[in-house]
Amino acid sequence: MKTLMKWTAPIAFSLAAAFLCAADPAAKDEIRVVTTLTDLADFARAVGGNYVTVRSLATGIEDTHGVPMKPSFVPTLNRADLMILIGFDCEHAFLPALLEASKNPNIQYGRPGYVDCAKGITPAEIPKSTDHSEGDVHPYGNPHYMLDPVRARQAIGTITEALIAKAPEYEADFKKNRDAYLAKLDSKITEWQEKLKPLKGAAFVSYHGHWFYFAERFGMVYYGTIELKPGIDPTTRHIESLISSMKADHVPVVVREPQFPEKVPALIAEQTGAKLIKLPIMPGGVPHTETYIEMMDYIVKSFVEAVPKK
Amino acid sequence: MRRVRLFGLVSIVVLAVLASAVAQDEPKENSKTEKLPDDVRSQLTEDLKPLIEQEVERRLKTALEALRTQPDAQGKPQDPATQAQLEELNRKIDQVIEAQKKVRPGEFNPAIGLVGETVFSYRSRGSSETGSDRPGGFDIWQRSVELNIAAAVDPFFRGYAVINASADPVTGEAALGVEEASLVSTALPWNLTLQAGRFFAEFGRLANIHDHELPFVNRPLALDQYIGGESRTDGLQLNWLVPVDHYISVTAGLGDGLGGDTGPNAVGDKRGFSELNFWTRISTYFDLADDWQFETGLSGFINPRSNGRADLSPDTVQADGSTITETRRGLVDLDFKFSYVPLQNNQFTGLTWGTEILYSHNHYLIDPDGSLAPVNGGASSGDELSIRRGALGLYSYITYKWDRQWSGGVLVDHVEAADDRHDITSAYSAYVTWATSHWNQIRLQFTHTEHNPLSGFKDDKAVYVQWAWIIGAHSHGWAQR
Repeated sequence: MKTLMKWTAPIAFSLAAAFLCAADPAAKDEIRVVTTLTDLADFARAVGGNYVTVRSLATGIEDTHGVPMKPSFVPTLNRADLMILIGFDCEHAFLPALLEASKNPNIQYGRPGYVDCAKGITPAEIPKSTDHSEGDVHPYGNPHYMLDPVRARQAIGTITEALIAKAPEYEADFKKNRDAYLAKLDSKITEWQEKLKPLKGAAFVSYHGHWFYFAERFGMVYYGTIELKPGIDPTTRHIESLISSMKADHVPVVVREPQFPEKVPALIAEQTGAKLIKLPIMPGGVPHTETYIEMMDYIVKSFVEAVPKK
Repeated sequence: MRRVRLFGLVSIVVLAVLASAVAQDEPKENSKTEKLPDDVRSQLTEDLKPLIEQEVERRLKTALEALRTQPDAQGKPQDPATQAQLEELNRKIDQVIEAQKKVRPGEFNPAIGLVGETVFSYRSRGSSETGSDRPGGFDIWQRSVELNIAAAVDPFFRGYAVINASADPVTGEAALGVEEASLVSTALPWNLTLQAGRFFAEFGRLANIHDHELPFVNRPLALDQYIGGESRTDGLQLNWLVPVDHYISVTAGLGDGLGGDTGPNAVGDKRGFSELNFWTRISTYFDLADDWQFETGLSGFINPRSNGRADLSPDTVQADGSTITETRRGLVDLDFKFSYVPLQNNQFTGLTWGTEILYSHNHYLIDPDGSLAPVNGGASSGDELSIRRGALGLYSYITYKWDRQWSGGVLVDHVEAADDRHDITSAYSAYVTWATSHWNQIRLQFTHTEHNPLSGFKDDKAVYVQWAWIIGAHSHGWAQR
């Protein structure tokens, strides 16, 4: 009995300490938001203001489908009030396992804390088949809609709704923040459209299929991808065929996303005489693109500089 | 865009009809005064045509620009009725999209996937000289055909099963077995997860994953000898994520055995609590830098009364007539993984150094005259001797990924037999993996195995080609990270 008593006190103390830590007094009333990608974090900060603490799992330089599953994410997710994601299965390679490991029932699929920004977005490029002969296709459609700023507005609306649902007492502030941000974004959208107007009809290729929505929004022609299929490296035959058709159609730009090696895009650019540009796919992807607007500014500027004037 | 095009078409049709109407009406009105000659009228229509087209085009462009520069209707003040209609429309579209998600092609409820794994090999020695259950020389082995099934059971639990059909080494016939069939809680409070059924217990690092998920062809010798391959058990396991800022995971479980190849211990006709198997594990993780990770864990296992397992029971009489019976089984396992996972291009490059060190500490009953053997009557003759044996086993590997499709590495194995630490087996392997996609990979491996003369087994050189593929649903699970 004495031995039991001897061990009971330290064990009880340890457990109490652990549960006290769980209370996390530093967090107070702030809404703890975790986002998968940095564009969502930027929007959550803009709308949530001082009422939220936001952490993005990605830093901006990762592949949107390949954020490393670090166990250090787990405690953060464990305490999250909201888990904001792109959706359309964009994060299928890392998020389901992390959510399971988080043991946080509030942010599991279908729960109020699971904020899928694909809600309300009309997807494009929905595959007719999810057979793997088509590569690592996304069954719900192309998930890279954030590169279309108008669709991004919809995501901002979804984030606002989620924040209001979590903390209705701050609804007025969230809406005020949202409106202020949207006004700024709208003005930038007009500016980007003006800048890209001369590029209408200009074609480009990229490594992965990130740019469908962007091209559609700004009237450019998304000519194709360097990847053979989503997630499948290009074969020599595919590269040769792409070079040949790009030459024939005078495609002036090759886009390389920072997550992919430069070798093949550089070769294609060299062979076709196209300009090679490195473009981020989320804020932080290249230096000086820490916010969504800065990133889009950078992308627009890069295209304007790369496409030859008519 | 379609609506704009439709609007354009409708406009053209309307304008054409109007123009035609005007053209038809005019003669009637003018008939009293002056009738235009047909050729002049025709010429006029022809002249007006481009003007009409230009006007239509101009209006279309204006409408299109208005739509494009109007980033979102939601932000603009609108007629409340229109706003309500838009919201209703959006809701319906959302419902259609959600409905699509429930029945997406290629995925069923439950999710079903199949893993196939074939191992082609050449071994320089015959099985009698290596102790392997596979023949020497040329061998082709369908090591596994795994059917994976998973789904939520209810709002509180999910269930999964792994049914494996592997070829019998002697007959070649497929033997169907349930590798895992388990229930996992999804809604327990206090950061707890309960698992029950048949599953791979969380012990060490590579014992609780399937063969085809290993970074090399064969399971390390230490895991084979001390655990019995995979850490399979029929049992119950509780995991706790310690609620602190740093990742700490604690697991404890009990089951009827530990090890897919060894099975449960013998218990006779009634099992006591001390004849169950108990394990625990604590693991943690550190971000050394953005791209550098370190993960480590400490596991412990005990079977207080193991009563003999496999050939460590009175059933197996040794060559000298004695028997060895395992009476208590214990294991301690320290594992770590040091990885370079670059944030930016981890699909194309990376490095992993993984090591697991196991210390086996068992109790044995030695019966020199073998009187405990059933064939010798199974009665004690009083000469039995109880001994304790400690033995060390470890493996260490480094895998480097230099391309999305290519990786390679080396593996070092060292294990002392659990009942005789002087009986040492060491092996050295080099392997190259070519993954054509997430679902298809071929691995070439060379392994040189050195045996201690004590075992009587001889040196062996082996070349393996492992081909593993997946169809259907597959998950990127937490254990496989």
